[in-house]
Amino acid sequence: MKNYIKILALGSALAFSSCEDLLDTEPKQSLTPATAFANATGYESLIFATYAKLRSFGYYGQTMNIAPEIMADNLRIIANTGRYIGQEANADRSHINLWDFNNINNFRGVYSGINEANIVLSEIDEIPGDQALKDRLKGEAHFLRALFYFDLARVYGYEPGKEVNGWNQSVVIRTEPVVSFSGADLKTRSTNREVYDLIQADLQTSIGLLPVAAKGTANVYRASKAAAEALLARVYLYDSKFAEAAAMATQAMATSGLAIDGTGLLTPANYVTAFSTYPNPESLFEIEIRSVDWSTVDGVNNSMASLTANVLPSAQFILTVSSELYTSYETGDIRKAAWTETTRSGATGVVYRSNKWLGTKGDFLQNIPILRGAELYLIRAEARFRTGDEPGARADLNGLRSKRGLGAVDGGLAGASLFAQILKERRVELVLEGHRWFDLKRNGLPISKAGFFEAVPYADYRLLAPIPQDQLTLNTALQNNPGYN
Amino acid sequence: MASINPNDIESIEVLKDAAAAAIYGAQAANGVVLITTKKGTKGATKIRLSVQEGIVQPLNLYDVMDAKQLSGIKRDAYVNAGLNPANAATTYGNPEDPNLVSYDWLDALYRDARLSVYDLSISGGDEKTTFFLSGSYTDQEGQIIQSDYQRGTARLNVTHKPNQKLTIAANLSLAFQNTNGSIDRGNFVNGPFVAGFSARPNVPIYNEDGTFAPYPSNHLFGYNIVQGVNQELRSGKTVQTVSNLQLNYQIAPWLSFTSYFGVDFSDNADINSRPSTIPVFSSYGGGSVFTARRNNNFNTNQNFNFNKKFNDVHTVSGVLGVEYKSAQSDLQSATGRGFPNPTLIYLQNAAVPFAVNSTFTEYKRAGLFGQAKYDYDDRYTADVTVRRDGHSRFGEQNKWGTFYAVSGGWRLSSESFLEGVSWLDNLRVRASYGITGNSEIENFASRTLVGSGGQIAGGQYLGGGALTITQLGNDLLTWEESETINLGLDATFFNGRIITTVDFWRKNSQALLFNTPLPVDSGFGTITRNAGEVRNQGIDIDIQTTNIIAGKFMWTTGFNIAFVENELMSLYDGLERIGNELIVGKPILFAYTNQYLGINPANGRQMFDDGTGTGNYTYVAGESTLGYRGSYLPSSYGGLSNNFSYGPISLEVFFQYQFGNVAQNGDIYNLQNWGSGTGNLDVNQLNYWKQPGDVVAVGRPFEGGQEPGTSALNTFSTRILSDGGYVRLKQVTLSYNLPSAAASKIGMSGANLFVQGLNLATFTKFNGIDPEASSILVENSTFGAYPNARQISAGISLNF
Repeated sequence: MKNYIKILALGSALAFSSCEDLLDTEPKQSLTPATAFANATGYESLIFATYAKLRSFGYYGQTMNIAPEIMADNLRIIANTGRYIGQEANADRSHINLWDFNNINNFRGVYSGINEANIVLSEIDEIPGDQALKDRLKGEAHFLRALFYFDLARVYGYEPGKEVNGWNQSVVIRTEPVVSFSGADLKTRSTNREVYDLIQADLQTSIGLLPVAAKGTANVYRASKAAAEALLARVYLYDSKFAEAAAMATQAMATSGLAIDGTGLLTPANYVTAFSTYPNPESLFEIEIRSVDWSTVDGVNNSMASLTANVLPSAQFILTVSSELYTSYETGDIRKAAWTETTRSGATGVVYRSNKWLGTKGDFLQNIPILRGAELYLIRAEARFRTGDEPGARADLNGLRSKRGLGAVDGGLAGASLFAQILKERRVELVLEGHRWFDLKRNGLPISKAGFFEAVPYADYRLLAPIPQDQLTLNTALQNNPGYN
Repeated sequence: MASINPNDIESIEVLKDAAAAAIYGAQAANGVVLITTKKGTKGATKIRLSVQEGIVQPLNLYDVMDAKQLSGIKRDAYVNAGLNPANAATTYGNPEDPNLVSYDWLDALYRDARLSVYDLSISGGDEKTTFFLSGSYTDQEGQIIQSDYQRGTARLNVTHKPNQKLTIAANLSLAFQNTNGSIDRGNFVNGPFVAGFSARPNVPIYNEDGTFAPYPSNHLFGYNIVQGVNQELRSGKTVQTVSNLQLNYQIAPWLSFTSYFGVDFSDNADINSRPSTIPVFSSYGGGSVFTARRNNNFNTNQNFNFNKKFNDVHTVSGVLGVEYKSAQSDLQSATGRGFPNPTLIYLQNAAVPFAVNSTFTEYKRAGLFGQAKYDYDDRYTADVTVRRDGHSRFGEQNKWGTFYAVSGGWRLSSESFLEGVSWLDNLRVRASYGITGNSEIENFASRTLVGSGGQIAGGQYLGGGALTITQLGNDLLTWEESETINLGLDATFFNGRIITTVDFWRKNSQALLFNTPLPVDSGFGTITRNAGEVRNQGIDIDIQTTNIIAGKFMWTTGFNIAFVENELMSLYDGLERIGNELIVGKPILFAYTNQYLGINPANGRQMFDDGTGTGNYTYVAGESTLGYRGSYLPSSYGGLSNNFSYGPISLEVFFQYQFGNVAQNGDIYNLQNWGSGTGNLDVNQLNYWKQPGDVVAVGRPFEGGQEPGTSALNTFSTRILSDGGYVRLKQVTLSYNLPSAAASKIGMSGANLFVQGLNLATFTKFNGIDPEASSILVENSTFGAYPNARQISAGISLNF
């Protein structure tokens, strides 16, 4: 009997002396941050995760391209599936949610991408690795962070200087990485000026770090010098820094081989097919998507091809062009071919399916251009118009129009008519690419739609998206935009 | 649990109070259920054979509209929204059309199904060896077509005593389960409990040639639910063994040693095939997902047990032991697409190897424990338990915790001053106090993890694998400690005619483990932390009475009820609330939403309380209109059973009930949306608002549900909630026991015939099908919860 006690006593003593080993476990499909981010290659994998945020259906994968069109006057709903009904009606709280979309795997919204960029920026100088790669990653992190903040800023706040009733709150700025939960403190919103300054500083830094990528080549799948310049030109335009916008657009055009006469853009015949060409020959920055990026039902359920066209089986086809836009195309404008006449059960008469989003990579799949060369002509035209250079503005319009099957605008086009022409040119060139709402908003124009819907004046509270409800109750330092009860 | 044949169970014991549960350590934080399986007994070999056959029927399903009814409300919805009513007629049919045909989707999906249970056991043994051998087979069809469940079980329990001191035992079980089923919860277009009700009645299920008709693409993603249920394969096969080996050595008459080794091993293979014949899967030629999971649990206990009686009245007993458990789970899955023929589902035939996945997780737990009990003449009892437990889930410095419990009992009825009280058989008071540990969190919750993040968070870009922080770690995570006080009373009166047990208990859980939200602008959504303190308290009452004994007639009643209160007492850092999820002073699971005030008779719009406390209404719900609207947890629950017997015939009638909880029902969004949606509706939507002055429960139909100046119709509010309380006639059993004299004449030792009904009636204000299934949030969804079925069966069991 004593032997048993001895054995047991010895056994348990052994077992518990090594008790730390006893409870050792290993999450075999995961790493610790120290192992994962020990060198530049680890940070490259992190930047890949940051790029992957852009393809989310709550972001450029769908919402960011579709919502600004239906919230404005470019699209209308032809079949009620519940989707975009509120956005079409500009209903209370029906807007764009970049703050916390995707409540999956602890990843939410644009801010998870911002945090990844912050991790890269805080550590990249400290770790070993090829300097060229490190510069590139750093440039990419600055570029992506700028893009994320720019999109947040234009959804949740007014543009600097365009504030209504002095409301200048933008979004929460974080430039320090959150790698432990103590870093996840409660912050207040920064001002429009502060956020735009951060964006511009990020883009200027990235221009000096990013490699040059030839327009329309596979290199545009990652951020490049031209992409950063083009985005900065756009940001300056939103920020009413028109001289800087014009200069930066010129710089971006030079980097990407675009001349004022339109040289470098597509020939008219290729405008529509370019969207089924990967990459789009006019792309300065484009997100590549592969079939593994989607679940088996994402094509039918969530793709833009399913929402805007009826060419693939089981497509939902719930959106078509507004008649106001469709009838506004000038004769000969090749961009009208973005639409093909068709019918839809449950919708009156002729409707149009889109040819921009056709899902030609198979099963609704396609890449998503985020910055295209053509936009630079439009940015510069608008910026030149605002700085009083009307001939320059007309020249930019004409350069683009020459590649869209159209002749030059009337040489006497000036003032409000010229501005209207610039906006119209933007509308037809960039339709279905998520610009229209922001173009109207940043110019202080009302949102007016034909038919049943009441116009939304610029001063209306619905211009700005609401901060997500649960974030407001979690963080009382966060103020919602005015007008939301 | 599902792998156990109920007929193999000898006893189920539930230990709730801390002192009783303390010895079981970390897994006992919420009480312990001890299941003991049957053993053989020495003597003649016994054979038991039982057969049960029955039918399974759906409960009262939602009563949905026919095509004429739906097309009428839809036309008004289109007109009210300024849309062309001709388009409503194209989609939903024309209500004036005398030839409008209705198709009954529910009839095509639901059925009366069959249930069969066969069970055979043989037991016996001699002085040295006893055994229990059993086998069973259950074949149960589901209330939805094409859904069924089969289970086969086999068990061998053997005990062998080679000598007076040594006992060795093996309990071996093997179970096979096969499920062919449907999505049982969630707002999925291929879930029959959602799509079956909302499929449009004017859309034919079948073409004239009997093939499945295409479903309109702007509803249910164009998925014909009847076709889906018939053609999508969702099968799961599980093989599981829960087995153990035990050795017991009687070292001395008062001291024994037990060594126990157990495994719980299961292997699970799921197949989900989505053939190209279903239009929505045709674009990629159909697909199949094969998923294999393996769970491997090992546990061992090494205990000394002692038990010694001194001077006839002092009994000292106890346990000293160690325990260890490790649990590993891994998963592999592969998806293929593009099958040349829809009947081929195996991946060898897939044109495109589409996606692969594999994951691994594990935890380990170790404990060292001791317990001492003292009993004086069955009059005074006292015991002390101490445990030290370690769990791999916690932070590096916080893995170990020490827990203990003490309890005492006093049997007053053994005292001389109560000796003369003839109507009192037994009276005992008990008190216990203890601290137990809870480790119910994700296996790696304390660690910061870096992984690929999957499609949403990362996955790949340009063919390069992505890496990102998939979880923020909390190295400070430690045991949640529950301090439990229990005061109990056991009493028996009138020669056992009344037996009562009453317990008053309070459980203060400190360092509550909770997934708390983080500000999303940090890049993360949640963190697991020791968030605060919760108090649970309650009274449990159990009364068993023998009401009438009159000759052969006997009536007995069993009644139990538990009153429970749950309140968050405090939060970390002195916070008063964390978002809308945890609020000090409220229960831990509650509805926080808008207060629905009904329909404004003037315009047919829905009104919400405006949150100013004035009782005024608003059409627009926002932060200021949200409020606490009740607990999802019941404040009382229990059961009532009455047993009537007359000689060999007995009738048992059992009710179960719960009260005091609000219940969410996602189905309301789909079926009671006033005609604003795209699917079929509950017939209770027919009496809708048509003109100013109408006082009705259903507002003005408006296509899309988004009238200008209002919040979307389907904004979460108390409109979705209802009283989740219910009383259910859960079981009625009429049985006949063949008298043993009669049985032996036909060569049997006993025989029993029974007829049984389950879920026969429900009394509730709940607005869905089944308050028992729907009132609890599972994975945050109350859409399409798989309701219980009504079951009527008859059986016979024969003992030889």
